[in-house]
Amino acid sequence: MRRWIWLSVVVAFAIAYPLLLSSPFQQRLGALVLLYAIAASAWNIVGGYAGQVSVGHVVFFGCGAYAAMGAYAKFGLSPLFGIPGGIVLAVGLAAIVGVPTLRLSGHYFSMATIAVAETMRLIVTNTEWLGAAVGLSGPTVPRNIFDLSFLSALPYYYLFLAILSITLAITWWMTNSRMGFYLRAIKDSERAARSLGAPASRTKLYAYMLSAALTSVAGALYAMMFGFVDPESGLGILISVKILIMAALGGAGLLFGPLVGAAILVPLEEISNSWLGGKGAGLTFVVYGAIIVLIARFQPGGLLSLLTRRSRSKVDTGAGYAP
Amino acid sequence: MSFVLVQVIVGGLLLGAVYALFSSGLTLVWGMMNIVNFAHGDFVMLGMYVAYVVYTLMGGGPILGAPLATLVLATLGVVVYFALIRGIMKGPMLAQILGTFGLALLLRYSVFWWFGANFLSMPPNIVGGTYAFAGLRIEASRLLAGVVALLVTLGLHLLLTRTSLGSKMLAVAEDQTAAQLMGIRPDTMQAIAWAIAAGATGLAGALIANFFYIVPTVGETLGIVAFVTVSLGGFGSVPGALVAGLLIGVIESLSGYLIGAIYKDIVVYVLFLFFLWFRPQGLMGKM
Amino acid sequence: MTLKHVTGLLCAAAMSLALTAGAQAQDKVVKIGVIMPMSGGTASIGAHAKAALDVATDIINNAHPELGNFPLAKNAGLAGLGGARVEVIIADNQGNPATGQNQALRLITEEKVAAVFGSYQSGVTLTSSAIAEKYGVPFLNSESVAANLTERGFKWFFRTTPIATDFAKIYVDFLADIKAQGAKTDSIAVVHDNTEYGTSVANTISGTFKERGQPIALDVAYPVNATDVQGQVLQLKDKKPDVVIMISYTSDAILFAKTMQSLDYKPAVLLADDAGYSDPSFTKAVGKISQGVFNRSSWVVGPAGSPSAIIADMYKKKSGEEMDDTVARQMQGFFVLADAIDRAGSTEPAKIQAALKATDLKPEQLMIGYKGVKFDDKGQNILASGAIIQLQDGENYVSVWPKANAEKAPVLPYKGW
Repeated sequence: MRRWIWLSVVVAFAIAYPLLLSSPFQQRLGALVLLYAIAASAWNIVGGYAGQVSVGHVVFFGCGAYAAMGAYAKFGLSPLFGIPGGIVLAVGLAAIVGVPTLRLSGHYFSMATIAVAETMRLIVTNTEWLGAAVGLSGPTVPRNIFDLSFLSALPYYYLFLAILSITLAITWWMTNSRMGFYLRAIKDSERAARSLGAPASRTKLYAYMLSAALTSVAGALYAMMFGFVDPESGLGILISVKILIMAALGGAGLLFGPLVGAAILVPLEEISNSWLGGKGAGLTFVVYGAIIVLIARFQPGGLLSLLTRRSRSKVDTGAGYAP
Repeated sequence: MSFVLVQVIVGGLLLGAVYALFSSGLTLVWGMMNIVNFAHGDFVMLGMYVAYVVYTLMGGGPILGAPLATLVLATLGVVVYFALIRGIMKGPMLAQILGTFGLALLLRYSVFWWFGANFLSMPPNIVGGTYAFAGLRIEASRLLAGVVALLVTLGLHLLLTRTSLGSKMLAVAEDQTAAQLMGIRPDTMQAIAWAIAAGATGLAGALIANFFYIVPTVGETLGIVAFVTVSLGGFGSVPGALVAGLLIGVIESLSGYLIGAIYKDIVVYVLFLFFLWFRPQGLMGKM
Repeated sequence: MTLKHVTGLLCAAAMSLALTAGAQAQDKVVKIGVIMPMSGGTASIGAHAKAALDVATDIINNAHPELGNFPLAKNAGLAGLGGARVEVIIADNQGNPATGQNQALRLITEEKVAAVFGSYQSGVTLTSSAIAEKYGVPFLNSESVAANLTERGFKWFFRTTPIATDFAKIYVDFLADIKAQGAKTDSIAVVHDNTEYGTSVANTISGTFKERGQPIALDVAYPVNATDVQGQVLQLKDKKPDVVIMISYTSDAILFAKTMQSLDYKPAVLLADDAGYSDPSFTKAVGKISQGVFNRSSWVVGPAGSPSAIIADMYKKKSGEEMDDTVARQMQGFFVLADAIDRAGSTEPAKIQAALKATDLKPEQLMIGYKGVKFDDKGQNILASGAIIQLQDGENYVSVWPKANAEKAPVLPYKGW
């Protein structure tokens, strides 16, 4: 019962936020928090629940962003029409990439995902049709409401809130389904899960594809809000790291972890930048880096793990010297 | 084979040796402690700045800068180990990424704060110009880095395989509890491993500074190269990093010359992915 | 209960958001928002711009009779607004289009700036000016060269800098001139990185030379922030073009200079397209081994006592660096904006916009070598132009072309080290 009370408090706060803090910049920050929460929650499915630390998730983010901007820039359609295309692209790519890489253990998987993302970034940078290094722009002056180019952040805020709710609902449903059960088993010990008959490879692949689809939606929304995508902002490895850090900081493998991470890191980044960035001494990142280090050092399981008593076992990926 | 091609390959080998040089520290801690150090590129950057400061304050070439950079970074390695790494090692892999990425930002922007964002550079020819052998041209500073890369690889390999300190470190890497029962202190061993790794990285930075530019964000560029080198070579394998570095250097040089520089990184990444398909544990890694 | 704590954390985050509400604007101060890369790989640009804008606001806000008739210098503050002071609020774009847009929004809605100035990288200028357009706030850009910026039908966007088509024309004319003096300029190679700047400028240059019946012989593209450029230098050494046009940022420019020395490669004419080659870090690091490199620049220090020489001196005192072309273009752009606000006599956006549209500055009113400042319907300065400078005797550039305002004659061939 209490659980539901707190849940309704969170929901009520989320709905009321842009009315309580109503300056355009605060509303935009709220929308950005939700946007990154969507991306980090999507990552959480494969990185948190399945324990497959993908550092190249930006490649799916980029699928969505480029599909949305491409729909407008190349076909004159509303960027909204790009979303399904982005999902198809991302899921297809996840299948192609996932089959060979998901069998890699631990860090090798992370490295392979970095390599895939960097390859895509470099290919797009050199592809004239996709705008190469110049990037693709969306509609600055909206033709109609479906161009999703608003002055106020309010419509974005509620759109993102709705999509975040759907993402979290899917995640919640997944963890309580057979798939979630398999994922937990695989995360604890893949070998044991296999020997007990859990279809490990297939389950991981499904989680990867689901995560890719949702990440691509986040990418499409991001591009629509900023009205622009280029290889660095749509496919740069730093975006992957940012998403991953939000999930890890809040608590990977926990339903609300990514939301908490985003709600802390996005304002921290924007506000420290607003206060310190103009001085040009790099202090923004000194502060930002120091806080991340402190959290990692004293709360390695993420902030929300303070509250869960679940013990964590470290996955052995074979430390040792191999001459 | 055309003459230019020989120069391209030689240049690629020297470049590869440099890659190997700044990757050896990363592979050591990665293999020994199963830690991904996202701040590795910034350790290289610090090494470059130490060498630069030594040069501007006291003059002298790499003879003074390189040992000092090694020393400073080794100390930093120990500090980082006790202040941060020991705490996050037992956590999930994500905590390690989180912690070392935060450390990377902290180091990078502390240097930025102190030195500013201007590009710095050692004076040209600080190590003694360029050798010309029968038309082949080899920069002395790169040759020095290449030779040191071989020595460092050999030294680390011998240390790990032929000395009692090495066996103790490996024992800790294999099984901490068992090592502890045999009277080895894991903390000490791992701190030593961090000192060695960070020291080697500082040395690499000091030598690279002789022919590269120096800027606080240079670690971003170099870090990702080190990651690919180490995973291609196999986490934890020092000779693997050398072979992988040389391989990547030559592939980059050849593809850059033959099909265009903007495609050379694509070639490296695609080959790396194909390679992982056939040998998921890297060149010389163990399963 | 987990959710209770989630709520708590979210509330804490919300409270920190509430703290962002900006202070109220003071009387008699005109705020101008500036978006620059203050961190990341191009942070040195932001640092230089900050020093330059400090000097510019000093000139505007205090009386500087030594600058003669230079606009805004004579009296303290903006005369058109009763001596109001100009205040610059700098925001860091981190080289990221999204951050740039967020900061533009903050500057406009929280800091209530009268106009926005920035943002160096074309991608950031694109996204941040889109916000200014939506809010109806003037946006002045002084250094982004992407052609599409003025092709968006914007009404609030103004750009003072010359763009790629102008550069190409300069190179064609300059090469024709030195050819007439006996230099060999038959085959031309273009070396450029694969950023938006490198690609678009290279494409425009190639197109222009082709139109003039002299297609580019060799196009060498390389990835920005390269770890090694040996292959590219060897390609050049192999094909032996007469003229090499370099389009590079500082990091790669330094690496190219070092590699060209170690591989003993010297083209007859080495012509750089501003950017990295104008960065004082470049001349400090490798100036000694790049003797004789030509560079495009709109900035030329005038004779001692001239406004540009005095300004260059003030800038050097402030930053410790020599003034270079990028920072001079930024400073000039800022003066153009301040001048428009002065003439508008108001901080009302529509009046500033009208004043910007009516801008008609003559060469003698500028600190930089443009033929003037006058915007077309798209907001592009049609009188923007450039000159060619050459690195002679050490670490300083001297103007060598066009002849009318050249300090020295161009020296050929490229000397190197």
